Amino acid sequence: MNDSAVEVRIETPKRAVVDTPVKIDLRNVDFYYGSAPALRNVTFGVPANSVTAVIGPSGCGKSTLLRTINRIYELYPEQRAEGEIVIDGRNVLESRYPLSDLRRRVGMVFQKPTPFASSIRSNVAFGLSYYERLSKSEVDDRVEDALRQAALWDEVKDKLQHSALSLSGGQQQRLCIARTIAVKPEIVLLDEATSALDPISTAKIEELIQELRERYTILIVTHNMQQAARVSQRTGFFHLGELIEFGPTSEIFTNPREQRTRDYITGRYG
Amino acid sequence: MAIPARRRVADVLAFAFASFATLFGLFWLAWILWTTFVQGAAALTPTLFTQMTPPPGASGGLLNAFYGSAVMILLGLLIGAPLGVAAGTYLAEHGRYSRVAAIVSFVNDILLSAPSIVIGLFVYEIVVRTQGHFSGFAGAIALAIILLPIVVRTTEEALRLVPDQMREAGFSLGLPRWRVTSRIIYKAALSAILTGILLGAARIAGETAPLLFTALNNQFWSANLNAALANVPVVIFQYAMSPYDEWHTLAWAGAFVLTIFVLGLNLLVRLLARRGMRK
Repeated sequence: MNDSAVEVRIETPKRAVVDTPVKIDLRNVDFYYGSAPALRNVTFGVPANSVTAVIGPSGCGKSTLLRTINRIYELYPEQRAEGEIVIDGRNVLESRYPLSDLRRRVGMVFQKPTPFASSIRSNVAFGLSYYERLSKSEVDDRVEDALRQAALWDEVKDKLQHSALSLSGGQQQRLCIARTIAVKPEIVLLDEATSALDPISTAKIEELIQELRERYTILIVTHNMQQAARVSQRTGFFHLGELIEFGPTSEIFTNPREQRTRDYITGRYG
Repeated sequence: MAIPARRRVADVLAFAFASFATLFGLFWLAWILWTTFVQGAAALTPTLFTQMTPPPGASGGLLNAFYGSAVMILLGLLIGAPLGVAAGTYLAEHGRYSRVAAIVSFVNDILLSAPSIVIGLFVYEIVVRTQGHFSGFAGAIALAIILLPIVVRTTEEALRLVPDQMREAGFSLGLPRWRVTSRIIYKAALSAILTGILLGAARIAGETAPLLFTALNNQFWSANLNAALANVPVVIFQYAMSPYDEWHTLAWAGAFVLTIFVLGLNLLVRLLARRGMRK
């Protein structure tokens, strides 16, 4: 496996060219729900080991974008994607690209917490025990490591055998993050992962995202512009399935080039 | 703020109607239990569970019938439940968008409403006639066929109730479908699936027509599944139709035990469903 990200020039519409190692290179990605297009000609590069935020009004295609990258949309026969999404030199949209490989490398956390109806420990160990033959103590170590990374260890270390459903919403969401990173992905997709949580849980997860940045390439979709401004280094603004503008977060929020971006971040629509 | 008179009247009326409907339903159940109990009281003794069905004029119990019913219900469950769960899983998980699944689902609905006597005749034709004799095994097959569509439908519905997001969460870890289904979806739907199986068991426990053509009845103790086997519903049927008072009493006692058994299964179902909700 080629771990080092390739040096690629990101070309975004009407924006200065940025040189940076790119982890996910999207080239002319189109997406359709049946015959209705949801993404049109999306081209940009997600830089490695940083947080990239995707913002835009409801229905602009931001969640669709995440669902395209790990090909989870393939569960639904009427949905399809075209174009190329290149991760470490290979187009993952090719049908012969092994799905389990892709999804192991690209983890995903959903809007609503999705704990499985089993213990906290077995939730985190879920993917692990499928991919790797590990002894019980090795699993314990990996579970602890993942829970520590997800900033949940101290709260659950004495009740690992308790049902995951007994945790609070914020804890459940951090558990889902732990479950995702336990299989050692390279990329983590967060689909409005804090929108169902209270402010304190949200703050904890934002802090967590900052820490995870060093190890993973993170792509978050959020409705919350302050959140995008707080946690991300780069931001892409989507509108009606198109990428309108992509660049450093500070520039997008202080000095956007596009009128539509300006309208959105100043609250004119969305 | 005062509630307008019209709304208060409507509330009282709705409450009265709902209470009446509940009492109406309970009334019949209580009456059935009471009548079977009173009529069968003379036979509701320990010997009911220790002695065999007697010849006319002698005293006895229903041990062979209870045993035969228990064996056939269990065997019916053993055959019908795994098949039903598997087919329900196909409908809800694998075949979700396929034409075949839509057809299977439709056929299942037909089977669900097929008269049980038709199923009895069917098994008579293919098992009893080929074997040349009635058997407990044929009875179990007939019960399994009645159970099957119930379990298929309840399993399918139980699985469909699990939010798609749980599936997506499993698939997004890169797990294959069989693992997502067996480790995540089944766990989430477990109590609903068990509920369906138990309801199915309660249903086949009282089936008479299919057993009449398959297991028939046996007045003596027999544990042989390859021969005619005694069972509670057919014993009740035959004894109730007979001219002997002792047999009538035994039939009432059998009916009482059967009703209590079905009631107990239903209570168990309620308990399971509540536990499922609490999770």
